[in-house]
Amino acid sequence: MIGRRLLLGGGAAALAGPLRAAMPARIVAVGGAVTECAFALGAGGHVIAVDSTSRFPAAARALPQIGYMRALAPEGLIALHPDLLLLSEEAGPPQAVAVLRAAGAPIRAIPEVPTGEGVAAKIRAVAAALDVDGAAVAEAVLADWRALDARVAALRPVRAIFVLSAARGAPVVSGGHTQAAAMLGACGAENAVTGFNGYRPLSAEAAARLAPEAVVIMDHVLAELGGVDALLGIPALAVTPVARSRRVLPIDGSYVLSFGPRAAQARRDLTRLLHPDATLPDLPARAWT
Amino acid sequence: MIEADGITVRAGGRALLEGVSLALRPGEVLAVVGPNGAGKSTLLRALAGDQAVAAGQVRVEGRALRAWRPGELARRRAVVSQQVALGFPMRAAEVVALARLPWHTTAQAGRDAAAIALAMEQAGVAHLAGRAYRTLSGGERQRVQVARALAQLDGAAAPAALLLDEPTASLDAGHRGQLLRLLRRLAAQGVAVLVVLHDLNEAAFVADRVAMLIDGRLAVLGGVAEALEPGLLQDAYGLPFRSVAGGGLLPDFGAAGR
Amino acid sequence: MSVALTAVLPRARARVAVLPLGVALLAAAMLAGVLLGPAHVSAAGLWASILDALGIAPLPAEHVRDAAVLGVVRAPRVLMAALVGAGLGAAGAAMQGLFRNPLADPGLIGVSGGAALAAVGAIVLSGSLFGAAAGVMGLWLLPAAAFVGGLGATALMARLGTVQGVAGVATLLLAGVAVNALAGALTGLLVFMADDRQVRDITFWTLGSLAGSRWAQLPVVAVLVGLPTLALCALARPLNALLLGEAEAFHLGIRVEVVKRVALVLAAVAVASGVAFTGLIGFVGLVVPHLVRLGFGADHRLVMPGAALLGGTLLVLADLLARSLAAPAELPVGVVTALLGAPFFLWLLRSRAGAA
Repeated sequence: MIGRRLLLGGGAAALAGPLRAAMPARIVAVGGAVTECAFALGAGGHVIAVDSTSRFPAAARALPQIGYMRALAPEGLIALHPDLLLLSEEAGPPQAVAVLRAAGAPIRAIPEVPTGEGVAAKIRAVAAALDVDGAAVAEAVLADWRALDARVAALRPVRAIFVLSAARGAPVVSGGHTQAAAMLGACGAENAVTGFNGYRPLSAEAAARLAPEAVVIMDHVLAELGGVDALLGIPALAVTPVARSRRVLPIDGSYVLSFGPRAAQARRDLTRLLHPDATLPDLPARAWT
Repeated sequence: MIEADGITVRAGGRALLEGVSLALRPGEVLAVVGPNGAGKSTLLRALAGDQAVAAGQVRVEGRALRAWRPGELARRRAVVSQQVALGFPMRAAEVVALARLPWHTTAQAGRDAAAIALAMEQAGVAHLAGRAYRTLSGGERQRVQVARALAQLDGAAAPAALLLDEPTASLDAGHRGQLLRLLRRLAAQGVAVLVVLHDLNEAAFVADRVAMLIDGRLAVLGGVAEALEPGLLQDAYGLPFRSVAGGGLLPDFGAAGR
Repeated sequence: MSVALTAVLPRARARVAVLPLGVALLAAAMLAGVLLGPAHVSAAGLWASILDALGIAPLPAEHVRDAAVLGVVRAPRVLMAALVGAGLGAAGAAMQGLFRNPLADPGLIGVSGGAALAAVGAIVLSGSLFGAAAGVMGLWLLPAAAFVGGLGATALMARLGTVQGVAGVATLLLAGVAVNALAGALTGLLVFMADDRQVRDITFWTLGSLAGSRWAQLPVVAVLVGLPTLALCALARPLNALLLGEAEAFHLGIRVEVVKRVALVLAAVAVASGVAFTGLIGFVGLVVPHLVRLGFGADHRLVMPGAALLGGTLLVLADLLARSLAAPAELPVGVVTALLGAPFFLWLLRSRAGAA
């Protein structure tokens, strides 16, 4: 079988083509943070296609779309003749990734850990795949992230919930082990939702018991719901302190929750939303923000 | 050919048949008559093997019905049920052709086309061959089913049996006559014919012997004159019957009930 | 023999003419499936790949990519589509014949619902409950779970639908409804436990995809889908008898209860093994048998192999469209089968109704 031969023969080198000596010329980036890393490392001009979660920078949005990152199309990807396939660890399904590997596609898997160190590791992994020196960018991002640590640690944590959606009545909120939960924790907030991981609908009773002081929500979700009044009119939220304090904090999800090179700025901005009175250090201007 | 030995059939705690014994012989037409709910169809279904018996035994050629392989049985006995609805649209000839299933592994398989054509000819449905079954009238369907049964028995080496459940029900007088005469011809060829009939005049015309069922019991089994005796009929149906010229029987619908 | 009779009876010669036509159609679709697609393969690349596959000449470096597209990405995918489509078509035809119900499809016997439940379970719980199993079984965990779930649901349905040794059609149908409802409820419970990402994975699984087809899966699918499909075709005569109803089938010498059980098991194995690797693919099992019947009548000696061949053909073509239309992304293949087949089916129905 051809497949057997390729598996044994190491087709990856052959597929990569003659340009492999310098930075890959045809990069497909899968995963919002991964795409941002590639652009931050100066490889934006070489990215030829991205997935639907890659929303930043604006140039990425103009590129051909390979679809949703958890429903990869092996042949569609190969048809793009990539010499580097940057895949977020979250990309899938695993069977399609296995087909790509068997076909010798030049895959580099990029780890996703929602911490400051995780972002630095992500940048280094992408840099290694691109064959560029990423140390400066990684260290700058980590330094910016750490510059906020002391101030954030001194803040009184705000009891907050992150609402993913509320289209069908009950708001779907983040429990533990999500990027939203990780970002809340890094921004002087305490995720009021405990007891489960991932996203689940929240009942009115549970919401009343959790008594969140603030609601963090993606700006486009809030707009689709019809604004703050509509959101707070949902029974599960009407019974919480937020209904009176009206502390609804809209964020740009692809910015605040992606844990890419802009993670430190995102941390600063969400911390400011949660703690309007706090004084936070200025972060230096960065080319990639 | 087929014998019922004291068979009892129960359903929902009620006896539909109670200790019925009779033997269907090769070369005869045995008519089963009786009022509604007397157990006529149940008897036919028990003899065909569709209906399990609670007591007694049905034997075919002396062997217990249950001991027969279904395929072997199908090569010597055919059944025409009251109504057959098709799962999917078929033409009349295709319905008749299904009769040849029991024969496809035998030496008789080569006769299939001839058997189908002959059976349709005999049942008077050759002209319907290309018609969609569901566009046929009730009577035409009934005759197609009779043709199917005939095609199934074509090639039977041992004496064959044909069981029919009210085959004349939706036929006009002309086709009734044709069917009844066909049953007589089959009996003359040695086929054992058991036919459930409502019309006593049809029974009187076609039958060698008549079995009268009342309330699940065999009230009488005998020759036409013996079984279709006006006194007995009045007991069975609650109506006086009178003989008319030519050997017919007429119920007196105007007479008061028992 | 009268003229009308020869015209009507499905004769051996007609079968001999139709079945090679179906085989040719499937072969043409498979050839198109391997040769066409968003990744362009040059004629030279194709030739070099063929020579390489036959062991005649080694593969030149410039054609390694072409060979990978043909041999690693497309060929297993096309074979998988042909096998799974054939299994769905044959299983659908058998279930419609068995239940004498034009609306019957493999989903009716609980196999899809059970497979979906187990697959969703594998997706949701693989992090926790099946963690150890996921590590050991890797890419086989989801298919294995779906296979076991599909068969388990059908077994449960058959058990619930059998009263005093008799599996009545109505009882079986109701048992299937109950098992599907139960599987649906449990699936809902798992979806409730799932996080956002898992919910999207589940959604894509239930829409079907052949993107994960690999050579390593094909021996399994060839045996577990191919053999039951052939065996179902061998049930054509009993299924023909069942066209008249169960009592008439018995009068014609068919062991009805045995046939029912065997057909159920074969259909469940064929469908469960297929969807285990591809996710749920609707429409093929329901409509393909009808297309064959509309063209060639109700005789299962034609319907069974015809539905298998047409099912394979349809799924191969649907998959070709699924990976081509939205390239470099890919449409769920279940969406394509429904979009392709439903309007065609409606058109056929209406044109037939108009002609009658």
